Amino acid sequence: MLILVNFTNFDFDQLFSMGDDSNPLMMLVWILPIILFVFYGQHIQLLVTSSQLKKGIKKLDGFRDESRTELINYLKRNLNVKDDPVKKIDKFLDYFTIMPVDMDPNGIVEKVRHTVRSREDYTRKHVKSLSPEMTDIELTRVQTLLEIASSLQMIYKIINHMFLTAKKQNNYPLILPLQMILPFIMEQAEAMKDAIPAFKTGQPVGDGIGPMVVGKMMLNIEKETIAFQTTFAKTDFEDRTIFLLKAEGPGSTVGRPADALETIVSNNKLDAIIMIDAALKLEGEDSASIAQGFGAAIGGIGTEKFQIEAIATNNTIPIFSIVVKQSVKEAITLMTKEIADKADDVRLQVYDMILENTKQGQSVAIIGVGNTAGVPQ
Amino acid sequence: MIFSKKKIIIAYTVEQCIKCEMLTKRKFREGDILFAELSKCSSCGSLTRIEKIFGESFEQ
Repeated sequence: MLILVNFTNFDFDQLFSMGDDSNPLMMLVWILPIILFVFYGQHIQLLVTSSQLKKGIKKLDGFRDESRTELINYLKRNLNVKDDPVKKIDKFLDYFTIMPVDMDPNGIVEKVRHTVRSREDYTRKHVKSLSPEMTDIELTRVQTLLEIASSLQMIYKIINHMFLTAKKQNNYPLILPLQMILPFIMEQAEAMKDAIPAFKTGQPVGDGIGPMVVGKMMLNIEKETIAFQTTFAKTDFEDRTIFLLKAEGPGSTVGRPADALETIVSNNKLDAIIMIDAALKLEGEDSASIAQGFGAAIGGIGTEKFQIEAIATNNTIPIFSIVVKQSVKEAITLMTKEIADKADDVRLQVYDMILENTKQGQSVAIIGVGNTAGVPQ
Repeated sequence: MIFSKKKIIIAYTVEQCIKCEMLTKRKFREGDILFAELSKCSSCGSLTRIEKIFGESFEQ
């Protein structure tokens, strides 16, 4: 059945209540909101967005407080701290790092490495001073907890600053970028907050899949410390020499694999490097899926990656990588069953990779990259 | 969101007998670390090694 509607004979006076016989109050119902939105639209949007942002910032403030309290309680309960640690911890939380100037990028990596390592050394020394009988494993745990608490403090301060600036200026466009990035920031902050129990109890995290695979390969083999907080073991597989590297577990550390690789290369001829690491999955990708590729699979600030790439390039050693995909949260919280179940599969893929890419009599370095909390060797 | 259930994560430890390879799953205990040889296998009496420590989430 076809129904034809005539759209040409609207009575606009009647539609907008503007006819002589219409109620002037009805006119106001139409006109007032238009005037209101034209002149005060941005202010209204600012108010609505502000209330949403305030909720997020309140959550961030809660995360910051919770991480600080957890750290102080951990120190008081588990470690025999000499004096009240609160003042010292609060001082550590406000510590900042000024990155080197990059107008002239020549030598910037060395400078960044120096700055970051100086900060780590300083924190380690001062955390140790809280309780001299603190073991090295406890020390790495406290350092990680401190890192989480100071990161959450920094996130809160920056987001709050951006919000208050926009409010102070009554500037809606200034609040838009904050509204856009806040969900991503909240995801990261929540992941950091949820990471605290795992690091406190020394449980392996998702990022520890690389050290877990290499740690198992190191079992029953003689091990030695080759670089700061980094373990090395030498073994054979199908007439190939295998150099195994991982951070020294079960403390919470990533070690210094690049320094360790440099030592190995200075004494041996390497024919391949295989790196095993956790990688951030893309949205839609399955968690704990394994992927193989080329290039150095290592995160962080970039100095370790730079050094490993330089060693490989100078000695013409190909770098192969195996990664286990996971989300930010999975990477820093207690390892999920799906990721843990993939450890044996990854180990088999490493052996296949060795056979495919090297000949008998050649040497391979296998690096388990990631935080080795709860993963010994 | 109001009606979404709260998720809790429970940590588990999986031990494997070095000899008969029997797997035993139990709740995580403080002090458990991977590859540690802790208890005896209930089946053959050999030592067991911690193979995995992981978390499983449940809705409350």
